[in-house]
Amino acid sequence: MVSLRTKGSFLKLYSWLPILILYISVLNEFDFNYLNLEYFSFNFPFILIFFFTLKDFKHFDYILVFIAGLFNDTVVGLPLGLSSLSYTLICIATAYLRNITIRPNPMKDWFYFLFIISLINSLNYSILTLFFSFDLILMNYLVNTFFTFSFYIIFVSLFKYYLKGLND
Amino acid sequence: MASSRDDFIIAIRSAFLKKSTQQKFSLLTLVFFSLIIVILSSLDFKVIRYSKAVINELVYRSSFIVSVPENFIKDSFIQVKDYTTFFNKYKKNTAELESLKSNYVSNEITEYENRELKELINDYVSSSNKILAKIIVDHDSPFLKSIIINKGSKDNIRIGTNIYDQSYLVGRVIEVNYKTSRVLLLSDLNSNVPVTIAPQNIQAIVTGSGGDNGKIKYIKSGLSDQLIDDSIVYTSGTGAIFKSGVPIGKLKSYEKNSTNEYKVEFYSDFSQLKYVFAEIITQTNILQTAQETNDDNVDKNNPLDAKLKILEDELSIIEESNKKFQKENENLKSEINNLNYKVLSLNNEISSQNRTISQFNLDTEELKFLRLNLTYGHKCRKSLFNNKGFIVGSPEYKNCVLRKGKIDG
Repeated sequence: MVSLRTKGSFLKLYSWLPILILYISVLNEFDFNYLNLEYFSFNFPFILIFFFTLKDFKHFDYILVFIAGLFNDTVVGLPLGLSSLSYTLICIATAYLRNITIRPNPMKDWFYFLFIISLINSLNYSILTLFFSFDLILMNYLVNTFFTFSFYIIFVSLFKYYLKGLND
Repeated sequence: MASSRDDFIIAIRSAFLKKSTQQKFSLLTLVFFSLIIVILSSLDFKVIRYSKAVINELVYRSSFIVSVPENFIKDSFIQVKDYTTFFNKYKKNTAELESLKSNYVSNEITEYENRELKELINDYVSSSNKILAKIIVDHDSPFLKSIIINKGSKDNIRIGTNIYDQSYLVGRVIEVNYKTSRVLLLSDLNSNVPVTIAPQNIQAIVTGSGGDNGKIKYIKSGLSDQLIDDSIVYTSGTGAIFKSGVPIGKLKSYEKNSTNEYKVEFYSDFSQLKYVFAEIITQTNILQTAQETNDDNVDKNNPLDAKLKILEDELSIIEESNKKFQKENENLKSEINNLNYKVLSLNNEISSQNRTISQFNLDTEELKFLRLNLTYGHKCRKSLFNNKGFIVGSPEYKNCVLRKGKIDG
């Protein structure tokens, strides 16, 4: 009885893991800056949100994603609501892709991801420079987009293991 | 054609409006929410400001807790790195400490004088109090360079409060909450600091590069030729945003598109900050306005009090510097005494050595005479057969022996 209950709570925690990781990543703002790699950065929440909303994962609630965006804005120091808008736009893009896709293709998803993050980063850059008069380096955005796109395929394989573990 | 357009519209409508069974809000609603929040956050309403402050407090604390494991890894990495360069750093620091010690006394006096002069120029007595603040969030975003400290409006932190690492400028506060504040670092692209470049005394503006350095901006044309490597960059105080005379970094030149460009290497390493100092400045006017009080005596007394205070300060500076000089004099006197004693003992030693040498010379001459006496003594001695000889022991006899028996000089 006890073991069943323990197993149940573990399963519950395991099924909420993606959203938990999303919150940890926005609060912690995963970076490897102490490695002193110039320009190196990638947007982990983009990969996570794109994958799990594309898979229509049941514990990946849009409102929680929205709140995660607010947290991210607060931590990074961006105008409040901007990351929420970006994350919501990713959700819309994945919902649209899900609707039009009959036979999923990982390569197509990958390049669709590149298109979406480029679009969202451009939107972010435009809003910040035009409406909030932020001085930003475009190169940082380009490198960030490139690394996010490159790492997508690695993280996707890990997430697939996770989903496999959950189904088993 | 029309069918494919319909499909697209249906897919878009579905993506925007359709809620899955688990979803509580449609995505369109959330987009609207986001836009409303973005617009509201750009407006400076009191309600929004307070709600933002509450959210900030909660999120910063949560972020601090969540960052503990990563910070632990980061610290361990830095510690290992430090151990590898430990000895070299120690040697460098020892040499630096020696040179700093020698500059300490004169710097302190200059500092007192500067403070006094500034107070006289500004007509107010500004007392600054640096409080220690811990950095709770230092996520080095590639886009924005800022840190969060654990001091806020409760500790008298205001927007614009200068933040230091030891005595080096780090940045200024741009957002204040009740118990936390956000500091915009000098390396951020949006940071602009009016500076003076010494020793050329050139005024410029240093702006962040988004990396680890700063860039020189808005320098008067023609003056850039005068810039040299290792020139010191410090705040000029223009615009009263930053306090004047605070060191920022050193100037370094580099080649860019075959032209010579200059960057500022900050003294402080922003990625290694753990604690910083926030300078709380309180200003007390020396000259009170007549409207503030009806009492004439008080009106007369206040400037007098202020002047007296300045004079007292001056006196205390002089006394303090006198004490330092006296102490230095005493040290020098005792050093002179020690040296005199050493000279005396050395003189004694020299005279005793001289005596020994002269005795040695005497003995050598005597020995030479005795040797020659054995050989030539009979030629110089006066006897029955030698009328030309001399009496033994007389100086003439000795000379004769030393001349190897030659009687005629």
